[in-house]
Amino acid sequence: MDDEQALLKRLRQGDKEALEGVIKLHHAFLIAMATPLVGHELADDVAQETWIKAFSAIKKFEGRSKLRTWLARIAINEAHAIRRKTGREVSFDGWGHDQGSPISTRFNEQGAWDAPPTQWHYDTPEALLTEAELHECIHKHLHKLPDDQQSVVMMRELGGLDYTEIARALNLAEGNIRVLLHRGRQRMHAMLNHFEEVGTC
Amino acid sequence: MLSCREMSELSSDIMESHLSLKNRWAVYMHLRMCPRCKLYLEQLKLTAEVLQKLPLDKQPVDSAAILKQLKLSEDLPGPCNKTAYARS
Repeated sequence: MDDEQALLKRLRQGDKEALEGVIKLHHAFLIAMATPLVGHELADDVAQETWIKAFSAIKKFEGRSKLRTWLARIAINEAHAIRRKTGREVSFDGWGHDQGSPISTRFNEQGAWDAPPTQWHYDTPEALLTEAELHECIHKHLHKLPDDQQSVVMMRELGGLDYTEIARALNLAEGNIRVLLHRGRQRMHAMLNHFEEVGTC
Repeated sequence: MLSCREMSELSSDIMESHLSLKNRWAVYMHLRMCPRCKLYLEQLKLTAEVLQKLPLDKQPVDSAAILKQLKLSEDLPGPCNKTAYARS
């Protein structure tokens, strides 16, 4: 039984430690994901509602998706519900507009690499993530991404949602979601690359 | 023939096997002879994996207080009377 299955078993039994543990694991993610959908002040409410709904339905959660993905789905529904209830409109104006490649200056006029990528010290995510300083740096740069890219990166990479769900949540076409995710990844790659080359954030 | 710049633009589609039929062969040929693009693609993939595995529990979260607040509004874990999220 893997960690998540073991955790789910304890959650279904109402184990208080497990309930606290799962909040600790995913609460910050829920807040970060909900913030662009409802604004900063209501993101907490979305997270609270998500936990209430999730804990009352946990016995029926079959574990076919990851727990975090399931929570993300609930949070998106709750964000929509809260927006409807409060009549609050969050503007997605300008979202999905492609700002172009962040690495365009690394190519010459013919489109060949001028500043080609160099080898990193580590070649697995686990090895890269052993550096505590890098964690902070990733968080910092995630928050520095343009809002639309940040939202898509959170939903896709951290939340595990699929393109159709993200497109529906953000009211954008799937094609836009793919471009935003690619740009977000490129920017985060540039950050990791800098960290690997220079050793600082 | 795809340029390296075009390859960098296609790299997420390559990662997710979302290439058009037209581009598939061109990408395959380019990757066979261009170690630089191959490395960029590998690193972009690694970037995505790092984000997927990024632990988020390092930030301070008062989970006991949140749980207490939830318990005030509902008995947890309650009876499964809400089915909307049941089949994921």
